[in-house]
Amino acid sequence: MIELNFHKKLLGAEGEMLLKIELNIQKGALITLYGPSGAGKTSCLRILSGLLKPDRGSIKVHDTYWFDSDQKINRSPQERATGMVFQDYALFPNMTVRENLEFALRKGQTKNIIEDLIEVVELGDLQNRNPETLSGGQKQRVAFARALVQKPEILLLDEPLAALDVKIRLKLQSYIYKVHKEFGLTTILISHDIGEIVKLSDQVVVLEHGKIVKKGSPQEIFINKHLSGKFQFTGEVIAIDKEEVVYIVTVLIHNSIIKVVADSSEIKDLNPGDKVVVASKAFNPILYKIE
Amino acid sequence: MNSFEGHIAAIEVSGNMSLVTISVDQKQTLKAIVIETTETASYLKNGSPVHVLFKETEVVIGSTKNHEISLQNRIPGTINHIEKGLLLSKLEIQTKVGIIRSIISTAAVLQLGLKKGKEVIAMIKLNELMLSP
Repeated sequence: MIELNFHKKLLGAEGEMLLKIELNIQKGALITLYGPSGAGKTSCLRILSGLLKPDRGSIKVHDTYWFDSDQKINRSPQERATGMVFQDYALFPNMTVRENLEFALRKGQTKNIIEDLIEVVELGDLQNRNPETLSGGQKQRVAFARALVQKPEILLLDEPLAALDVKIRLKLQSYIYKVHKEFGLTTILISHDIGEIVKLSDQVVVLEHGKIVKKGSPQEIFINKHLSGKFQFTGEVIAIDKEEVVYIVTVLIHNSIIKVVADSSEIKDLNPGDKVVVASKAFNPILYKIE
Repeated sequence: MNSFEGHIAAIEVSGNMSLVTISVDQKQTLKAIVIETTETASYLKNGSPVHVLFKETEVVIGSTKNHEISLQNRIPGTINHIEKGLLLSKLEIQTKVGIIRSIISTAAVLQLGLKKGKEVIAMIKLNELMLSP
């Protein structure tokens, strides 16, 4: 169990904000921090990894204090077993893939883990190449592997797939899931991609202005249980076009583009980029078997 | 989306489906079929307040003449606005329970001679009504 209970004053784009987190995370869980930019999500990860010091409170990981303002405990980032992956890969350009991984080894750590990681993240064919010869998705796989070299307890992922195209993103999501399970990690993910969140996370924690405003399973958070329609998906509005007396709203659901005819009353507060529930009755869709 | 507030007046359950009767006012009831039961949805209770939602494109317009048709949800009203497109038209119908919007073909508007002030019946299939507490 990871027990977080801390607060910190942050200076954000809109002035001062109090980040106040009280959260218990089960060992082995994959949780997602979700919320608007500037809500304090990245600060949470930085506080966990030891890069940012809370004003007060404690961080307890499996009964060991990593931070406690009362007892004046504050482990350095090196003493905390966290691995972190960001949107940009931050690989050393003058080293091969294998050298990048080996560089992350702790003093005296055996190289066995490197072989394991190269196998799990399927870097065998890439291990002797330099990062600049790799695609974005391949670089991010190397960054994942590197974050795991020191066998962290907690994997911190700050929008790791946001810069990648949909196809690569879907593939890397599978890697995240596989690595999370195989290495018995507790993973905290920051993501805005609802498809990704629903696919990967056990729990979603919604942050707004530094506070936890909602917690629950992805289904509880994103699927509207209060609507009797059984044909429900969550997606993002891509475009809204007026056609005669109706509007045609284009919505990206997972990796499919769909279109919904809407009345002016439905699109009144709707803009491209908004998240929506697309709902219909179970009676309407037809099923067409494909070979 | 058309939305009305009402109260659940009756629930008939069979297997995993329920036929729910909602009274929108004293004289007007609507019927909805849902894949929920009193056990799976807490709002399915006699007397519970509920919103009835249905799409404009699912509202069928009939003249007031008595014709035989399977649609059970019938709400009489008067057209108070028509917005005509080349293919589709949007109708606003003033009823005793509020305004109902309907999108039908412009050809149908012409064929039925629909215009402002004309009395019509708005009809919705019971599988097109969605419920929300």
